[in-house]
Amino acid sequence: MARYIAKRVLQAIPLLLVISFIVFSLIHLAPYDVIDSVTTPNMSPDRVEALREKYGLNEPFFVQYATWLTNIFKGDFGYSLVSQRSIAGELAVRIPNTMKLIIPAYLTALILAITLGLIAAANKGKFFDKLIDGIASLGIAIPTFWFAMILIYFLGYRLNLFPIIGMNTVGKAGDFNDFLAHFIMPYLTLTVAFFPELTRYIRSSALQQVAEDYVTVQRAFHATKWQIFRRHISRNVLIPVVTQLGLALPMLVTGAIITETIFGWPGVGPYLTSATRSLDYPVIMAIMLLSATLVILGNLLSDVLYSVVDPRIRKGGKE
Amino acid sequence: MKKWKKGLFSVGIFALGLALAACSSGGNTNETANSSSTTADDATFTYAISGDPSSTNPINTSDRWGLTVTNIIYSPLVIVEGDGTTKNALAESVEPAEDGLSVTVHLKKDVKWSDGEPFTADDVVFTYEQKAKKENGNADQLWVGDQPIKFEKVDDYTVKFVLPQASAAAVNNIATETFIIPKHIFEGVEDFSVNELPENPVGTGPYKLVEYKRGEYLTFEANEHYFGGEPSIKNLTLRIIESADTTKVALQKGEVDAAFVLPSDVADLDEKTITTYPYSENRVGYLGLNTKSEALQDVKVRQAVLFALNKDELNQAAYLEKEYYEQPYSFLPPNNPFATEDVEKYDTNIEKSKELLKEANVSDLKLNLAFSSSDPAQTIQATLIQQQLQKAGITVTLEGGDGTAIFAELDKDGSTKYNLFLGGYIMGNDPDLYGALFETEGSANYFQTENKATDELFNKAAVELDEAKRKELYNELQQAIADDARIYPIVDNKKILAVNNRIGNVEDAGLIPIYTFEDVSKLTIK
Repeated sequence: MARYIAKRVLQAIPLLLVISFIVFSLIHLAPYDVIDSVTTPNMSPDRVEALREKYGLNEPFFVQYATWLTNIFKGDFGYSLVSQRSIAGELAVRIPNTMKLIIPAYLTALILAITLGLIAAANKGKFFDKLIDGIASLGIAIPTFWFAMILIYFLGYRLNLFPIIGMNTVGKAGDFNDFLAHFIMPYLTLTVAFFPELTRYIRSSALQQVAEDYVTVQRAFHATKWQIFRRHISRNVLIPVVTQLGLALPMLVTGAIITETIFGWPGVGPYLTSATRSLDYPVIMAIMLLSATLVILGNLLSDVLYSVVDPRIRKGGKE
Repeated sequence: MKKWKKGLFSVGIFALGLALAACSSGGNTNETANSSSTTADDATFTYAISGDPSSTNPINTSDRWGLTVTNIIYSPLVIVEGDGTTKNALAESVEPAEDGLSVTVHLKKDVKWSDGEPFTADDVVFTYEQKAKKENGNADQLWVGDQPIKFEKVDDYTVKFVLPQASAAAVNNIATETFIIPKHIFEGVEDFSVNELPENPVGTGPYKLVEYKRGEYLTFEANEHYFGGEPSIKNLTLRIIESADTTKVALQKGEVDAAFVLPSDVADLDEKTITTYPYSENRVGYLGLNTKSEALQDVKVRQAVLFALNKDELNQAAYLEKEYYEQPYSFLPPNNPFATEDVEKYDTNIEKSKELLKEANVSDLKLNLAFSSSDPAQTIQATLIQQQLQKAGITVTLEGGDGTAIFAELDKDGSTKYNLFLGGYIMGNDPDLYGALFETEGSANYFQTENKATDELFNKAAVELDEAKRKELYNELQQAIADDARIYPIVDNKKILAVNNRIGNVEDAGLIPIYTFEDVSKLTIK
């Protein structure tokens, strides 16, 4: 077990380096840099040159990359070139805000998906299956920003149930009821964004289980469908769910960019979108790298969890 | 038929689910409805801004929201109004010397900082000395030629600015956009090149900063020492909302009291609760012609392009109503005191356009046009320009892209990637500032023009102290640049500020470029 995990972790390291290199080179290839965003027409060329020097933008590519990478190892993501603030500090405030939104929404979506997915699988081809499939299709087809605007219009404006901007009313930070009122609409948006694909995934995993031999055996013993689903299939479906949990890890940082921007939620979303607009590339790079790292870690985590849940995989690792 | 029913049914269930989800949270909605209505309380004016200020340091800020915040907390010596006239703020009077080599400013006497300390000439000298340092990032206007302007304290309420050489533009440049900061607070600051100063801001503006939550809001409280009289609204909040759609709904709902909207949004706003105030920012939106690009080196070809265009049509399509734009003809915005309409206007004339092309021996002209595809007005105008030029037999390919990337490309020396491009500028009041765009060595000469005659005119006009003669020179300059056909000024599009009717005195508070409100203290709540 430990050997398997160690092997996987070691495999992840070169991958992370490659990703960091790709992220850095892609941004480097862009036809402009942050200096273009901080210069104004009445700035003299000398001053522009001085700025370049100050930010190390006149160094060769590999020197810039090496400096950037060493700093990251020291936990220093650098400074935003536009606001001059420490990116790590800024993310430390914003990532928890994003997580406050993502975790409840994802868990709700997951519970909803497990329930609906199993119901659909149990009624394959029948009315409920078609209904759930219809809902899931609709959910996948609806763009998040559109659904968010619909919520804002009806719940926020027409019915005037919830405030539409931010995480707290000005001056009411820490007030839980106030937070909840601000939380509900983005939470609903994200739940609706997350659950349809999960539902489909769980439905198809459950159907795979139905086709397994043990189900045929159970049927032969006259077990009811309810018993089969409750005792066996629902447990076996948890294995692919564990995989999904691992894969959902990067969402903790970048899973709600659109929703957050629309609702003015002070998470990573608005930070990234405004950084993109102002070409604040250290910020873009930090978030891209973080998110890519979480993808790899998520994969790693889901494999490890998988091996915990299903010992056959662990054994496979030893051979 | 069956599929249709199924679809409808799922929509029904879906909606039901939503309603349930909404109800399930009903336990606290009553409370929250109350709390959200308290945001529109009688003592707070909430203004929606679209992003964090890039810099809140008054010495170097130059972005829209940074300047807006600065203008709330601090005051300059003199305010420049939209039409170019000036109004004294901290200055009692401004007296330029006759030889043009110095400017003496007398300061108002009973002005106090928000912490109660008296405001004196020391603060003014301190501020200007910091700003004139090149490393602090905003010094260009305080340098004439290659020398900095010098600042002398004459007595406690008089400051003399000594110029290294005569400059007509200096008076305007010295007084405006420099927000005076208190020496007694910032004396110990070593580095003014940062975007945020560590000290709590103390200013002479109408409000004091209470709290700044990045990405969320800035809150302010009335400054009882404000020299313009204590503001009638006690609290001011700048709420950061990135999404324009959300801003619109928040405005309709009353969660925010004021915000900028687009012409196409105005019809959606309820007139009973919201009033719109269009005002000019003295911006010029233009079509630029890259004179270095092979196809456009001949001035006749450039003129042929301009004669094929129809300005009216371009603006009607992009800005809908006449009240939301004005049409400039020279490179100066129509409100500029030096602007003239006595230039070649290039009224649409397809025949003339074809003739010019024939004279230039050009047939089957193919051009490309760069524009920012995220800007709705530019997108509409680009497609129209394509159609209009087609009538004169000129084929245009559209190259929509990221605005910043396009201008980074145009900024490269000798770039010929784009023939035509859409852009815009807000350069300020003194026409000398426009030299950056139109002089051969100008830092924003995207047109890549080398024209000794116009360079000469810029140089002469900058040092001409006689107002009438100076005007004459700029008239000549505007005509020359129009004849050169490197820029086709399309529009001076107005900003539209939508304000909830519960807020009064919006016009008295003065709508001016960049800062929105000249003096936010004049607003009232009905």
